[in-house]
Amino acid sequence: MTRYILRRLLQAIPLLLAISIAVFALMQAIPGGPLAAYENNPNIMPEDLERLKDELGLNVPVHLQYFNWLTALLRGDWGTSLVTQRPTLVEIGERLPNTLYLSIIAFVIALAISIPIGIISAVRQYSWFDHVMTTIAFMGHSIPVFWFGLILIIIFNVTIKNPFTGGPLLPGGGMYTIGATASLEDRLTHLILPASLLVIHNLSGHVRYMRAGMLDVLLQDYIRTAHAKGLKERAVILKHALKNAVLPLVTIIGLEIPGLFNGALLTEVIFSWPGMGRLFFNSIERADYAVMMGVLMMSATLIIAFGLITDVVYAFLDPRIRFE
Amino acid sequence: MRKPILFLLALVALLVLVACAAPEPTKAPVAAPKATEVPKPTAAAPQPTTAPAADAPKRGGKLTMAIWQSPTTLNPLLGTQTVMNEVLIYILDGMLRDQPDGSRAPNLAKEVPTIQNGGVSADGKTITYKLKEGVLWSDGAPFTCEDVQFTWQARMTPGVGVASTAGFSDVETVECPNPTTAIIKYKNFYAGYLNLFGTIIPKSAGDPKNMKTWAYNRKPIGTGPFKVQEWIADDHITLVRNENYREKDKPYLDQIVVRIVPNVDVGLQLIASGEIDMLWSITLDTTPQLDKMPGVKYSAPPRDGGERIFMNMAENKDPADPTKPHLILGDVKVRQALALAINKQRIIDQLLSGKVAPLPGELNNGYFACTDIKPVPYDVAQAKKLLDEAGWIAGADGIRVSKGAKYAPDGTRLRLKYSTTSGNKLREDAQTLVMQDFKAVGVEAYVENAPSSVVIGTWEANSPRRHGNFDLVEYSTSVDSLEPIGGLINTFATSSLPSEKNKGGQNVSRFSDPKVDELLKQAQTEPDPAKRKTMYCQVAQSVHNAYPAIYLYQAGNAYAYRDRLQGWIANGNNSMGWNAQNWWLK
Repeated sequence: MTRYILRRLLQAIPLLLAISIAVFALMQAIPGGPLAAYENNPNIMPEDLERLKDELGLNVPVHLQYFNWLTALLRGDWGTSLVTQRPTLVEIGERLPNTLYLSIIAFVIALAISIPIGIISAVRQYSWFDHVMTTIAFMGHSIPVFWFGLILIIIFNVTIKNPFTGGPLLPGGGMYTIGATASLEDRLTHLILPASLLVIHNLSGHVRYMRAGMLDVLLQDYIRTAHAKGLKERAVILKHALKNAVLPLVTIIGLEIPGLFNGALLTEVIFSWPGMGRLFFNSIERADYAVMMGVLMMSATLIIAFGLITDVVYAFLDPRIRFE
Repeated sequence: MRKPILFLLALVALLVLVACAAPEPTKAPVAAPKATEVPKPTAAAPQPTTAPAADAPKRGGKLTMAIWQSPTTLNPLLGTQTVMNEVLIYILDGMLRDQPDGSRAPNLAKEVPTIQNGGVSADGKTITYKLKEGVLWSDGAPFTCEDVQFTWQARMTPGVGVASTAGFSDVETVECPNPTTAIIKYKNFYAGYLNLFGTIIPKSAGDPKNMKTWAYNRKPIGTGPFKVQEWIADDHITLVRNENYREKDKPYLDQIVVRIVPNVDVGLQLIASGEIDMLWSITLDTTPQLDKMPGVKYSAPPRDGGERIFMNMAENKDPADPTKPHLILGDVKVRQALALAINKQRIIDQLLSGKVAPLPGELNNGYFACTDIKPVPYDVAQAKKLLDEAGWIAGADGIRVSKGAKYAPDGTRLRLKYSTTSGNKLREDAQTLVMQDFKAVGVEAYVENAPSSVVIGTWEANSPRRHGNFDLVEYSTSVDSLEPIGGLINTFATSSLPSEKNKGGQNVSRFSDPKVDELLKQAQTEPDPAKRKTMYCQVAQSVHNAYPAIYLYQAGNAYAYRDRLQGWIANGNNSMGWNAQNWWLK
């Protein structure tokens, strides 16, 4: 096992290197560049543009730019944003907690709801509960996030008023009331709409994997054996079936966790959430190479890391799986 | 399988109900039709308050406004974003402040320097500012001429990423004979001398060599009515009253919270629900939405420039050779006909709710406005006549074909490539209307759009407007009306023709006129603004007669605000907060 993990970690190094080269090359292919904002400004002189290119290091050949970036990274320097002149890590550090706060809460709620729903749906296949839940989950996934988010705002922020204060029932954006003293209640009210949007959107995947996994397992011989032994239904489902049925969901969770760090761009945009998704989007718009590279490499590293963790967790859940 | 379908139908029905019910929250009394409050261009600097005399300004309160872009810095030397200036206006002052009518009023200076009051030397190369006395920075330090000197020196520091040195590089020295006099001596005359020092930063900001890492960039100290309390990236900037502000009892407001929202649609929702009081820069096609919001008003002050279609006067090639005329558009008659063929008012009425004015040409606004230049009318008959005269005869399918045209060999079809930035609905809709109008006079156009980073972009990004491989390209731009010289040279001088050697050139139309070049050269050494104005208008007139572009409509950005805000006057020549010290809440 240890050897397996070590080998995977070693394999990750050339992989990350290849990813970084590919990403760096793609980034250079984006038309525009960090100075594009100046290009349509007739009041900025061409001489200023030339000088800025020099000062921002954009006149350095691309392969050297990459090499400089890589050597700096190996020294622990993630570079400096080309537009804000602040270290990339500071920019990420300001957004990451906000993103994790929203995405982890939504993720946990989605799991807490979807696992029981998936189990019940499978056990009572084709019951009315099964139909309603699979339909809701399916619709939640199909409704465009940006549209549904705006509808939520129109209903809970614009239309329905708080009966006590006369103000909007729920805030239409932001993480907390600006200027108010921090309180749990204030934080929670700001969390309700964006978290609901994320939960509703992510519910379906989890429900469907859980349901399918459970259905699969319920037909197995060992479940019939468990029934034959006279075990209670509850014990059969939760003790014997669940552990095996949850495997596909574990794979999905392993793939989703790195995504939690990237932020949910649409949700962040609709609810003015100062998170990673917006940081990344803005950095693309402004061709802020250092920040783009920072976010993408963090993301790549996390995906590789959680791929490995998922495989290891598999071994624990399914004794048949052994890595040699 | 019946049941799930039934459930699905029921749920869909439910959802549709919710969706239908939703967009009507603002049914309440339809607000009285809102005139776009355009401040009348009075000659004198307006007394900045619109409040009825009966209502005395109230002190205190918190105003929340929203901007929908993130400022990258609050150091005016490093940034150029419009949105940065929208925030800085509350914090920093400059020598002068641009007024709604295009004039300038003294801000940190005691008076506007002119030749008459001795502030401007006869050759225009020495400008003397008398500074207001007793002005303090928000940290309590006195404001003196040394800060003016520092602002210039910091801007001229090499290697730290200063965005623009235009004009400042023409300054030889800034002398401080005493703390309240600043003498700015230029190496060579710079026509935009009154534009410089629009923001002045304190010498306590830090060592210019380390400007990139100044704490000042995030928390600037200024002489303006407000100061920064906190800045949470992508979320908000809280501004609080500057207790050291020079005007007694002002500002009235305790706090201005600048919320940074991701896009304008989110801002519109927030102003509808009353979470914000002001919204920065909205396009006028959203006004039907605003009209439905009770308590929300908007104002669209006149602005510089606007939407236009540049026509390529040089042969469509990559790269274009400006000495070779465009086969079709090289003929001024064709260009004029195209300008006449477009129904600009229809675009304004159908796409912009009729809320903007047609754009007459360059220099439409402010002190240097050339009011003699009128918008090109919509005249189909005249357009057809001109095309006939130019040797373009209607073919079998109605599209014209050359027969004796000036440059095109006989049998050339009158077909033009029409590009604009993709993904901009307003532009794409306008494109459709323009093409209909073209078709009515026998001109065929086909769309070839690209992202704005390509259309507007650099030579390296293969921008068609730079390389010259386009026929028609539509976008918005403006020449700064406060001092148009730079903008006019960049857009119309022969020296600004884009080429392999001059990749930054912005003379998109490949317009070249020795008379215009000469006038612009003269204006660069003319210290008297009145005389410069005459020259600029001659330039604008020559440009107008040559039709290098079809001017469509004026830049039509509005500000939305809730009616509890008092004392604000919209100012198309300045940021929203240009008179924030006078704002108060009802």
